[in-house]
Amino acid sequence: MHPPDSQKISQEEVKKLAKLCKFDLAAEEVDKFSRLLTDTLGYIAVLDELDTDDVAETYQVTGNKNVFMGQNHPITTLSKAEALANAAEQVDGLFATKAVL
Amino acid sequence: MKKLNELTIKEAIAGLGSGEFTSVELVSACYEQIARFDSSIRAFVTIVPKAVALAKAQEADDLIIAQGSSAFETKKLLGIPYACKDNFCTKGVETTAASNILKGFLPPYESTVTKKLMEAGAILLGKTNMDAFAHGSSTETSDFFVTKNPWDETRVAGGSSGGSTAAVALHMCVFAIGSETAGSIRGPASWCGVVGLKPTYGAVSRYGVIAMASSTDSPGPITKTVGDAGYVLDVIGGHDQLDATSAAKVSKSPVKDIKDVVLGVPKSYFASDLQQEVNDAVRSSIAAFERLGAKIVGVDLLDPKYSIAVYTVIQRAEVSSNLARYDGIRFGHARPSFGFEAKKRMMLGAYALSAGYYDQFYAKAQKVRTLLIRDFEKAFDTVDLFVAPTMPVTALKLGGSQTSPIFGELMDMLLAPSSIAGLPAVSVPVGNDAKHLPIGLQLIGPMFSEEQILAVASIFERKRPGA
Repeated sequence: MHPPDSQKISQEEVKKLAKLCKFDLAAEEVDKFSRLLTDTLGYIAVLDELDTDDVAETYQVTGNKNVFMGQNHPITTLSKAEALANAAEQVDGLFATKAVL
Repeated sequence: MKKLNELTIKEAIAGLGSGEFTSVELVSACYEQIARFDSSIRAFVTIVPKAVALAKAQEADDLIIAQGSSAFETKKLLGIPYACKDNFCTKGVETTAASNILKGFLPPYESTVTKKLMEAGAILLGKTNMDAFAHGSSTETSDFFVTKNPWDETRVAGGSSGGSTAAVALHMCVFAIGSETAGSIRGPASWCGVVGLKPTYGAVSRYGVIAMASSTDSPGPITKTVGDAGYVLDVIGGHDQLDATSAAKVSKSPVKDIKDVVLGVPKSYFASDLQQEVNDAVRSSIAAFERLGAKIVGVDLLDPKYSIAVYTVIQRAEVSSNLARYDGIRFGHARPSFGFEAKKRMMLGAYALSAGYYDQFYAKAQKVRTLLIRDFEKAFDTVDLFVAPTMPVTALKLGGSQTSPIFGELMDMLLAPSSIAGLPAVSVPVGNDAKHLPIGLQLIGPMFSEEQILAVASIFERKRPGA
């Protein structure tokens, strides 16, 4: 199954997507992902067969609206030590990150 | 006579309550089975130290001695050993979702499901293998190793809850916990020949479950019998303030007798590419339901190919959002540690959510989801439950998941529609093919119809030929 010729995810687009997703790809991966993601678009193309002009989106199925944490619910939070326990690096009781600026 | 580790939950409770055997003996039997088979099947990614589990078993035994079988009234799973899929956070027990990026992660809190099991007295034996982050239907995309099918080690267990279903099938535990986004409980349950219950979306809390596709993720039990599945659901289900999508009010219809039940057979689920033996086994089971008094009607549902497309878009979009939190700073390793499958899914999700493509893919998929839900709702005006094959084929050979970029979706074709609509469903074993591989049948019902689904499945389990 193949998408229309106009709908391909090019190698350039794969590189942009990887940048958006914040990981690097090896050169051979770029080509492979371009082919696989383009193939996937082919499977998705069947959605166009259905008329959805007057149909609303369903983002969730429970019908819940404006759910807030109950007022009487005891809020427990992690201690500083617990929160830091899985950190790759910490400095003076804080998470250490790479320099932003 | 059955070995202790082969017992169902109900049998184990009866034996523990009457003093026939102890929880220490039951837990030990499971560890012996794990030691015997797990080096080849590889169901577990983490095994709880035996001494830790035995200490809990001893506490259970002490309570049973003090209170007798009434101890089970307040602690419904007292002394019962279980295995849990590795995407449930278990405080102080390594939780990785079978991914390299979470290797070494020790959750600082407990998921609601495992907390409820702990409070009910169940004893955790270990965390089971899965497709990394549950991205798959074979357990082959685990970043660690593949779980093999207990019925044929050259075949996959299925996924993504393949470790849990293999562990139950091989009696390494009395029951297990899995999670399903679109087929991840029912699919591997079918391929491993056990019972897998995917509850209504929102019926079981997602708190502390490593998120995959948040709008369809549903934790559920994997058991040896239908009765056990309902029993575990009673323990793990219910409203949870810690999960905003948890169902607060549930209106349940009274359970109908099998003679008053109308079973719908979705014609499009019996397409030509169904394995002949699967078709035959499910058809003969449908005939058995009819003999038991159920009314059988053919129903036209939307072709499952649309559900696959909807699921592919929504799942990838939600994955790209959910996996964005892995920054390698607060927990976990750096983002290059993501496996191939996770990267592929995140990129397609980012694409589908991008300005310019959002309406074409994401919004369109959510609209077709509405059509799928309406399709089911209309059908439930005339039928009580649907009956269909769980998987189109029996367990595939190892390596089979590499045949298509959406292998999982194709395998889960008969499971995706109900998942997208949030419906409950159970897969039960109904026989084997010529290679002795298990075949599964699923019953799907309206939201919160678990009791009805399990009642019908349970009668069938007791009365089907050869059972």
